[in-house]
Amino acid sequence: MKKTEVCLTVNGVTHHLGLSPNALLLNVLRDELGLTGAKYGCGTGQCGLCTVLVNGRAVLSCLTLAVAVDGADIVTVEGLSRPDGSLDPIQEAFLDHGAIQCGYCTPAMVITAKDLLNRNAHPTEPEIREQIEGTLCRCTGYLSIVRAIKSCGDRAGAPAPRPSPMKKSR
Amino acid sequence: MVRKTYSTIGRTTRRKDGVSKVTGREIFASDVVLPQMLHARVLRSPYPHARVVSIATAEAEAMGAVCLTPSDCPAWLYNERQVSIPEKTYRDRTVLPETARHVGEGIAAVAAKTEALAEQALGQLAVTYEPLPSVFDPWEAMAPEAPRLYKDIFLGDVVLPIERNIACFREMREGEVEQGFRESDVVVEQEFRTGRVYHHQMETKGVVCRPEPDGGISVWPTAQSIHNVRQLLGRIFNIPLSKINVHRIPIGGSFGSSIQMNTCIAICAALALKAGRPVRLVLTREEDLYDHCKYPSLIRLKFGVKKDGAIVAGEMTTVVDIGAHNIQAYPLLGCMAGWFVSLYRMPHMHFQGTAVYTNKAPACAMQGYGNPQVSFAVESLIDVIAERLNMDPIDVRLKNYVGLGETFWGQGPTVRSVIRSCGVEEMLQKGKDLIGWESRNRPEARSGRFRRGIGVGRSFHTSGTGAPMSGEVIDYSTALVKFNEDGSVDCLTPLMCHGGGTLEALTKIVSEETGVPLSKVEISPADTRSTGYDVCTHATRGVYCGGASARRAAQQARGILLQFASRILEVNPEALKIRPDEDLGQGVIYLEGAKGKSITVGEVAKTAQIKSWGTAIAVVSHRQVNCPPCFVTNFIEVEVDTETGRIRPVRAVAAVDAGTVINPDLAAGQLEGGLCRGIGLALLEDTDYDPRSGALTCGGNITDCKIFTALEMPLTEDVATFFAETEEPSGPFGAKGVGEAANNCTAGAVANAVANALGLRFTDAPMLPEKVLARWTDYLREKRGA
Repeated sequence: MKKTEVCLTVNGVTHHLGLSPNALLLNVLRDELGLTGAKYGCGTGQCGLCTVLVNGRAVLSCLTLAVAVDGADIVTVEGLSRPDGSLDPIQEAFLDHGAIQCGYCTPAMVITAKDLLNRNAHPTEPEIREQIEGTLCRCTGYLSIVRAIKSCGDRAGAPAPRPSPMKKSR
Repeated sequence: MVRKTYSTIGRTTRRKDGVSKVTGREIFASDVVLPQMLHARVLRSPYPHARVVSIATAEAEAMGAVCLTPSDCPAWLYNERQVSIPEKTYRDRTVLPETARHVGEGIAAVAAKTEALAEQALGQLAVTYEPLPSVFDPWEAMAPEAPRLYKDIFLGDVVLPIERNIACFREMREGEVEQGFRESDVVVEQEFRTGRVYHHQMETKGVVCRPEPDGGISVWPTAQSIHNVRQLLGRIFNIPLSKINVHRIPIGGSFGSSIQMNTCIAICAALALKAGRPVRLVLTREEDLYDHCKYPSLIRLKFGVKKDGAIVAGEMTTVVDIGAHNIQAYPLLGCMAGWFVSLYRMPHMHFQGTAVYTNKAPACAMQGYGNPQVSFAVESLIDVIAERLNMDPIDVRLKNYVGLGETFWGQGPTVRSVIRSCGVEEMLQKGKDLIGWESRNRPEARSGRFRRGIGVGRSFHTSGTGAPMSGEVIDYSTALVKFNEDGSVDCLTPLMCHGGGTLEALTKIVSEETGVPLSKVEISPADTRSTGYDVCTHATRGVYCGGASARRAAQQARGILLQFASRILEVNPEALKIRPDEDLGQGVIYLEGAKGKSITVGEVAKTAQIKSWGTAIAVVSHRQVNCPPCFVTNFIEVEVDTETGRIRPVRAVAAVDAGTVINPDLAAGQLEGGLCRGIGLALLEDTDYDPRSGALTCGGNITDCKIFTALEMPLTEDVATFFAETEEPSGPFGAKGVGEAANNCTAGAVANAVANALGLRFTDAPMLPEKVLARWTDYLREKRGA
């Protein structure tokens, strides 16, 4: 198949790539650029594990043709930490809230959370749940992930305590 | 009881693998890239049962692809699971079969320069099939005229004829069950079903294999046991084990899906050996859906009780639809009997289990190994007993549970041990307060569209499969611990972490035992050539048995280090102690009360190296001598929408008696995850087959084979987790397991909550909205009619 020149700025580095028109963004990131943080989970946009930021918004890279995002600014989980190597607050929050188990969904969860926090610095729990609904996690039951994301809105640094004993039925 | 205080055990710390996971730098099987690596794809049968007459490969080979067909593969029959002793291992499959026995069974494979090219080459394989009659229902499969999946297979090295598709049958008795029922005041009996749940681990199974110049092979697999992968590859391909190196790499969730050596590993190894180049094979989600699932259950359960609620007799009959291969049905039936008899005392019991082949994807262990299924039935029927006797369901449980000092055999009749720690009562009492049990109404008190109900469920899992006597299951762990010359410590073990924090726990155990700060204890990369055998990280055994092996290795290495220190300090080594000094980042060796008689671990290790005394290092193989139960309890409140039939979990309390808890945040995380999967088993999950095509009705789509999303869980403030305050005398620093236990009691608690909400009991999971609505409508009609 004839190659097309595509320009992608990924994690601040601009790449000029000769790609097949049917090349998927996920495969380009993983196979051409060696950024394996975004994962294959289904290839059909059903699990959310391939999520990356395209021009600041969460996008399923397994359903995105690379040519369709020519010229875009893309951030993968590898690009979230600062140049000095320090982690993004959302990454710190995942570490502090035990929001990581097997780690396979973690890059996508972190990126999906980042997308929300970029638009809404203080999301409510329903807003968080709605945001991550399309990103599946089989390990955690999502609660620790929700707490981690919530803590980023609640604070500028300190980890939130574990939840207090439950309230009575409402 | 007064709990011991530890410097590291029980502290919440950031997990050591967290940074690599949260930055995307963790490398899973599908991320491994090697020079000259080819990519593989597998051709899978579209028929549920068909003889593969011929496979023409010329066109695919003309495209440059390496092709693998059954005739290229060793004929030796294998069982992908290597946990049972050889004479109890049922062997019914080859690397590629000459007869496909379920839709999606791999029958040929190709490797090419890119995955896209491999996919194209796959399309060029010309296969001639001879379709055979198929059977999907286990009852139909047992009929004399039913199509047969196998004429015979191997059990160990003995040919085992297969009659009426029965893979195996087990029966166990204690006491005189008929007499027990005669002596009972009340007899309750019901049939229960649970679905054919897909593991749904987020990483689809994958593997990279590299043939080595010496005739050996290196492997990077999705696996829960690198040693079992090594042993099987050695046997299948006749390669000395010394030339097979299987590397431990992180696993993207397992839930039992990789206890066995995944079949894609054998296919990939065969391709790599044929191609003479590294090959990577990663399953698509659809392929993974056809690879394995949880054992579905059909359980007939009967209890006889006295008026005071004391259980006299219990009888369980189960038929398990194992699908097309017998991976571990024999131990499964033993465990199902074990889960059944070990929850509640019953002087008289009878168990009958039949495992049946059908033309579906093979079932295998999934978190709980039959226990969530059995506990769903038992916990439901315990509530029925309470209802019949007008007792509080908690009182029935307290009256009958198997607890402290009693013998139990959760892992089947050959794995008997005595319960030495038990938090059952504590969890029931505390959970009851947290959920507000006293305000729980009867269903008749409810009205309106949305009805809420509260249910309780309890269960347990064993910590491992070992007991004083070695039985039918292999169980031991090997670990190495060594002090480095700067005072840091390496721990080498083939154990896996599935995400729950097993290896994290090992670092804490080694830190505690050696006195070296946690920041200076690391788990080494592991492969089969540099580690001793470990059976598998399964059966909730990682911390209890694997952790115990690490603790023993640390003890021995510590002893050597103190010998070195005693030479320097001129003190009897037995009088020396080690304490962690976080500021120094060192363990400090000291003589109590003697100022000046102290030295850091690093100084001792360095001195020992410079003076050529040696390295403080030890390797230990450890077999557990007890099999302690980690008990669990859930209280769950659900809300049923009587107009749609949708059931929503709204509040939950999850508790575990894990003995000493080593990683509190990670253990709580396991409880929350188990809760989510257990609710999924109760309300949502199943894999249906179209009986005309033999294909999954979800078509390989996970939105049609759903698991819970974040939206369906209760709010964070409505879920509470806690740990019973116990200590297991036989465990490392008092620890037992958590793992599988976390989801074992959940479906039962949900069923009891629904019964409390509606006054209507569902005994067949999943309780899908359409089923709930239909039953509720009938129930109202009957009530009005009455």
